[in-house]
Amino acid sequence: MKTLLAYFGNLKEYIVFSALVLISIILIFQNDNIQVRFIRVIAVNVIGVIQTGFSVIPNVFELEKENKTLRETNINLSKELSFLKESKLENLRLNQMLEFKLRTNYRVVTGRIIGKTLIQTRNNITLNIGENDSVKVGMPVITEKGLVGKIVATSGNYSIAQILLNKDLKVSAKDQRSRVDGIISWDGQGKVLMKNVSKSSDVLVGDVIITSEYSNVFPAGIPIGYATTAGTLDNLFKNIEVECFVNFETIEEVFVLKYLSDDERRDLEKKYKEKTK
Amino acid sequence: MQEYLKYSGIMLLLIIVQKTLIWLLAITSYEVTPDIVMIGLVYIGIKKGKITGSVSGFLSGLILDIFSFSFIGLMALSKASAGFISGFFYEETKMERYLNTYIFTIIVIFCSLINNIIYFTIYFQGTNLVFGDILFRYIVPTTVYTAIFSIIPIIFARRRRFAR
Repeated sequence: MKTLLAYFGNLKEYIVFSALVLISIILIFQNDNIQVRFIRVIAVNVIGVIQTGFSVIPNVFELEKENKTLRETNINLSKELSFLKESKLENLRLNQMLEFKLRTNYRVVTGRIIGKTLIQTRNNITLNIGENDSVKVGMPVITEKGLVGKIVATSGNYSIAQILLNKDLKVSAKDQRSRVDGIISWDGQGKVLMKNVSKSSDVLVGDVIITSEYSNVFPAGIPIGYATTAGTLDNLFKNIEVECFVNFETIEEVFVLKYLSDDERRDLEKKYKEKTK
Repeated sequence: MQEYLKYSGIMLLLIIVQKTLIWLLAITSYEVTPDIVMIGLVYIGIKKGKITGSVSGFLSGLILDIFSFSFIGLMALSKASAGFISGFFYEETKMERYLNTYIFTIIVIFCSLINNIIYFTIYFQGTNLVFGDILFRYIVPTTVYTAIFSIIPIIFARRRRFAR
């Protein structure tokens, strides 16, 4: 303390002089003549230049505050971007579906998938449309790419559909090119197969498989997938592996075709089956 | 204390003379006059040091500002600066030499130059005069004129010394 006082004692002449200069400057700036106005302009310019010089030195507290604001803005923008991306993708999907809806000859109901199982042997999807939307059991479920499955249960506002990746779903199908028939089914282990194809049938890799007119549930001509193997032998028949056009992992919206099989045909086939037993 | 009162009286007298009679000595078309207050101020600075010099300069400058009815504070600033600088020549051992020889005139020139640079540079802000004009029309002539007048106290001091 003593040292400090001694130090300031040595500086007292300068302190007094500085105080006098300060008072003089204050007095000068109390005037309002042309000189003072001019000096004020110079002072403002000088201060501006000094401030510009100092502005390159980052203010830590300001930076922290700015960082926080930028982070918040970043999060908000990321959210917005994510929402916009999602909207864009949805828009694309809905556009494709709309095109298909206009193309198809059947009346369709659009539904959103609200539940999905893909890891079981009997996989289903739950849709947000039901009896109130005229959805009935047995109606085919498709997308603009191809067959998805069929409705197996309905309630007022919801419905459940078996998909191609379900062991219980069998679909009559045919090779679009060679018109060879077969039955599409899921082996429960990751492969969709076209079975009951005679050994000598003409099926090539890449052939498109569609629903056949023999199906009592699905209208003919709905694309299912394409052959990935020419066939593996199973006694007299060969099994052809089929890659579905529909990607069940990413599918989000579907159409339910307002199509039900012909009752007369169904009854006749039923009667004949009972007779032959 | 008595000494300070004596200095105050002298300064007051010089201020009155400066403001009332000195215009009679104005020269050149720019009416340059000697700054006799500055001579007294330098004398006090050499005698008493920086603090007394700067305070005397500030007070005398302020009084001059008040008498001039314009630009209050400008003369206070320039005179305080000049008084402070004159205090640098405050040395007990060399005081007589500084005050009674022509060194005093040199110190007056130096301090007067500082005073005039500050005063006239600020005073002519906002006019069309550039620094060169201000320097040669006002600063240098006033400094020289003041320096000439600073010889008078030296002559008096010498006479007094010889008389002793």
